[in-house]
Amino acid sequence: MSVVDKVGVTEQQGLAIAAILARRGIGAVAIGEVLAIRMPVGPTWGTGDGVTIVGTGPGTWLAFGQGVGNGWSADLERRLAGLASLSDQTGAYRLFRIAGPDARTLLQRGAAIDMDGGVFPAGSVAVTVIGHVDVIIRNLTDDGLCYEIAVYRSYADSFLRWVDAAIAGL
Amino acid sequence: MSRLATGGQIDRSSPHNFTFDGRAYQGFAGDTLASALIANGVRLVGRSFKYHRPRGVLSAGPEEPNALVTLGAGAHREPNTRATLVELFDGLQAGSQNRWPNLRFDLLALNQMVSPLLVAGFYYKTFMWPASFWERVYEPLIRRAAGLGHLSTLPDPDHYDREHGFCDLLVIGGGPAGLASALAAGRAGLRVILACEDFRWGGRLLSERHVIADQAGDTWAAQVVEELASMPNVRMLGRTTIVGAYDGREYVAVERVGDPLAPAPSARPRQRLWKIVARETVLASGAIERPLVFGGNDRPGVMLASAVSSYINRFAAVPGKRAVIFTTGDSGWRTAADLIAAGAELVALADARDEVPAAIRALLPGGLPVHLGARIADAQGAPLRSVDLIAGGKRHRIGADLLAMAGGWNPAIGLGSNLGTRPIWSTEQETFLLDRTPPGLRAAGAANGKFALGDAIRDGWSCGTQIARALGRPAIAEQSFPTSDDPASGRALWHVGERRGKAFVDYQNDVTDKDIDLAVQEGFTSVEHLKRYTTLGMATDQGKTSGVNGHALLARATGRSLSQTGTILSRPPWQPVAIGALAGHHRGRDFRPERLTPSHRWAAERGAVFTDAGLWKRAQWFPHYPDEPWREAVDREVRLTRSGVGVCDVSTLGKIDIHGPDAAALLDRLYTGTFSTLGVGRARYGIMLREDGFIFDDGTTTRFAPDRYYLTTTTANAGRVMQHIDFARQVLWPELDVQAVSVTERWAGFSIAGPASRSLVAALLPDLDLSNAAFPPMAAMELSWEGMPARLFRLSFSGELAYELCVPAMAGDRLIRRLFQLGADLGITPYGTEALGVMRIEKGHVAGPELNGQTTAADLGMGRMVSTKKDFIGRVLAGRPALVDPGRPVLVGLIPLDRRQLFTAGAHLVRPGRAPVAANDEGHVTSVAHSPTLGHSIALALLSGGRGRHGERIVAHDLVRAIIVEAEICDPVFLDPEGVRVRG
Repeated sequence: MSVVDKVGVTEQQGLAIAAILARRGIGAVAIGEVLAIRMPVGPTWGTGDGVTIVGTGPGTWLAFGQGVGNGWSADLERRLAGLASLSDQTGAYRLFRIAGPDARTLLQRGAAIDMDGGVFPAGSVAVTVIGHVDVIIRNLTDDGLCYEIAVYRSYADSFLRWVDAAIAGL
Repeated sequence: MSRLATGGQIDRSSPHNFTFDGRAYQGFAGDTLASALIANGVRLVGRSFKYHRPRGVLSAGPEEPNALVTLGAGAHREPNTRATLVELFDGLQAGSQNRWPNLRFDLLALNQMVSPLLVAGFYYKTFMWPASFWERVYEPLIRRAAGLGHLSTLPDPDHYDREHGFCDLLVIGGGPAGLASALAAGRAGLRVILACEDFRWGGRLLSERHVIADQAGDTWAAQVVEELASMPNVRMLGRTTIVGAYDGREYVAVERVGDPLAPAPSARPRQRLWKIVARETVLASGAIERPLVFGGNDRPGVMLASAVSSYINRFAAVPGKRAVIFTTGDSGWRTAADLIAAGAELVALADARDEVPAAIRALLPGGLPVHLGARIADAQGAPLRSVDLIAGGKRHRIGADLLAMAGGWNPAIGLGSNLGTRPIWSTEQETFLLDRTPPGLRAAGAANGKFALGDAIRDGWSCGTQIARALGRPAIAEQSFPTSDDPASGRALWHVGERRGKAFVDYQNDVTDKDIDLAVQEGFTSVEHLKRYTTLGMATDQGKTSGVNGHALLARATGRSLSQTGTILSRPPWQPVAIGALAGHHRGRDFRPERLTPSHRWAAERGAVFTDAGLWKRAQWFPHYPDEPWREAVDREVRLTRSGVGVCDVSTLGKIDIHGPDAAALLDRLYTGTFSTLGVGRARYGIMLREDGFIFDDGTTTRFAPDRYYLTTTTANAGRVMQHIDFARQVLWPELDVQAVSVTERWAGFSIAGPASRSLVAALLPDLDLSNAAFPPMAAMELSWEGMPARLFRLSFSGELAYELCVPAMAGDRLIRRLFQLGADLGITPYGTEALGVMRIEKGHVAGPELNGQTTAADLGMGRMVSTKKDFIGRVLAGRPALVDPGRPVLVGLIPLDRRQLFTAGAHLVRPGRAPVAANDEGHVTSVAHSPTLGHSIALALLSGGRGRHGERIVAHDLVRAIIVEAEICDPVFLDPEGVRVRG
């Protein structure tokens, strides 16, 4: 089996990203009502209205918009006025999709968290480190075949060097 | 050749050629290096550490103290490898160690002649005089004479992987108890990780002839392994050694991934380090057989009886033709039966017991020379030629080439005491057992003192089922494992008093019975003192075969019982671990991650020289040709920036969005200055103090909306300031409604500086009014560039008319290329961190060397920025007498009297004519540069009372580099003190 059969890494391009930070005393429900999305509570993610929302901390989310215009983040900010602060993070992360029969094994070789399907099912999020690099891992499927990793842009080359080394070990 | 024609777990259809000390041999797949050497009749494999005594293979497992060899050649060379663990592969090269000129004739064996000098603790008593000889003569001599193999000293060409495991149950050991535990837990649906150090599963079932459930033991093991391998909830880790137990139910393991294979060109890792978190753990690591302490017990040909059985049954290699058994328990009789079955001649069996069970006697045919109440006192020859048997009160010399000793069993429970609980002595079992274990860990099988096979399997199964029940799993069908009889009685014998020759306790470190007596005579009577004084158990095998014997002899010498004497704690690692396995991916360029700036690729294309700024790679300067002297490049970058326009990537500065209704209030508490009064569209320079009143960090903060600020930090403190802000808003003042998030990675930032910078920005953003009236210094705006949000600031670090332009990070590369297209006619230059430093020193701006954690705002001439009208972090302690002492060193500039001289950073400041001693020290040089603008060296310095001393002279003494520069003290702003250029 070639490496490509075992696991493939593709970069997701063209995503707009925004950090949503709840204002004091404002909960996920109030924010979700405005965005017409059920905001994830805890380390999970969800989608709605073409947007993916990833829980990254208490009252803190990252929103990913695919194919949205340049005004997307400003529009979110307007809609969330009084409920949450919004920081445009487009460009701050590079996103890699890691897919294939060995995707879970690959990540388990990097992340010191339990990636088992029973513990980290589809919809789970982990804000952790791989090879000393901060990563946000999203599990996209129940079968452990596809994950998305967000890495700070400046660290991405180092992260990919780890990926190459880890793939060589599969 | 001593290979049997049939039997064993070797594949005779797959021969492997290998060499040992340059001679070619052949073994088979399934062999270890040790078994292949034995099969080829090689008996001498190494020399001992201190006395250079000839040694053979003692054991068949990881406890091996003698058969240490060096594998491979060149950079792949690996010394001190246990031949008993090395899985044979075709082309393997092995060599003996610690001998000169060769293994058979080792000149350093002369050490034995002076052995009275080399007793326990000899290095505390000898080689003392003259003292100067220690480093030059004694130590090099001792190091050459004593030792193990040698490292290649070349960079390790292999690479090492890492994995994290999580399970309900970790089973340590792939023998009968471990397999039974894993089987029960696996059937009950637990997530199981089963780790086995061997390359083959089954443990003692491979080495002994047993029947389980009417099948041969190895067949039973293979069936269980097959069932386990089919369970998705069970992870089988072969060739994996658990090396340590840690807090939080964590275990570290080393998996040998590529080790059994010849070095391959592929990037396949050699080993994989595992960190395993287990809710429960079964330690089924078996037991290690005890050697017996008699004269010459280290001679090649003297082996553990269990090893003899292993070599015969598992590897079909018979270690001798004329064999003697010296046993204190039943297991030795089984080895005798194995030898007879393999066609060897049993010339004597000496059992130290006066009586043995009838079932045991029945193992051997009648008429054999069996001696009860007997001992072997001495062994002769290297390799073994004869032994002295004490039987019936008489000493008989018997010719033999193999002596198998069976001194009883020590449970392999080192991991169980890793967290600090000492094993206790069981008088009934005559062995140390785990009393209290680390949380979640329990021993099973032989590791739990259940030495008989049936007991061991039942113990393992019962551990598995109990754990499954405790973790809430439904009960599984009970299973019995009827086994063949496996008598396991015995009686310890710690020492043979009649011995005449040297009797070794610790083979690897050459510790004898006499050394232990000597240590006791000299007062080292605790196990821990004994260990350090004699080095008992301190070799790479960590005393696996020697520890308990040594402690028993200590008990004997001190008249205490073994339970009073106790045993030592085992510390991780339980087996040696290659440093490379611990480092994993993180070495060389990957030692730590690199952060690349948005313009990195562009800068690299231009041949930039990069420097490390924390994890960042920053362009230091941009040479015009390879090997251009750095000063030439830096001077050019400064000149072209000050005369035209220069661009520098400043994306590495920390950037933080502070939002919310209370953003202004928080900033007022973080900074010494006031930010609530800052106008929208304006930036202000600020300094933060630590709680203790010293400066923490500096940077600019911009207000983009009443509730939306953006602040920058120094590159070095980006992470710490973010933590500080989060601590302040979450812990100190949770009542404030303020949110903060790092946007360092969001923005690519470029400083565009120089008299032509306005023209360049105007060319890029033609719709903007950049006039001083519309966009004065410290102005800021949000705008759009090529459809993307961007931010423009009128900020200057260089002292020139300057802008900072930020665009989304992914567009940074595009922006820098566009700027250089547009700036071609303006004489645009890139500049790196060196030119940045030169220009800020010319301008008297402080940076890291001045913001050194020991300076106050007033020290650096920023006392007026400290508000007296509000509270802020650090205010109270900044008022301490020592921090407002007028004699404190403060920031000054220095100009050399001899303009050709260069300052050096770190030089100490002493008044002219005074001696350069600490008592006369008045400060130090912090930052130095050659100023191409002024044509000479300049420096910033911290000097006591410096503000009132402008015009005076001072001498900068660099005692390390022997550079002395006499200088004139001046204002720290060397260039354009009125700020004309900044205002453009």
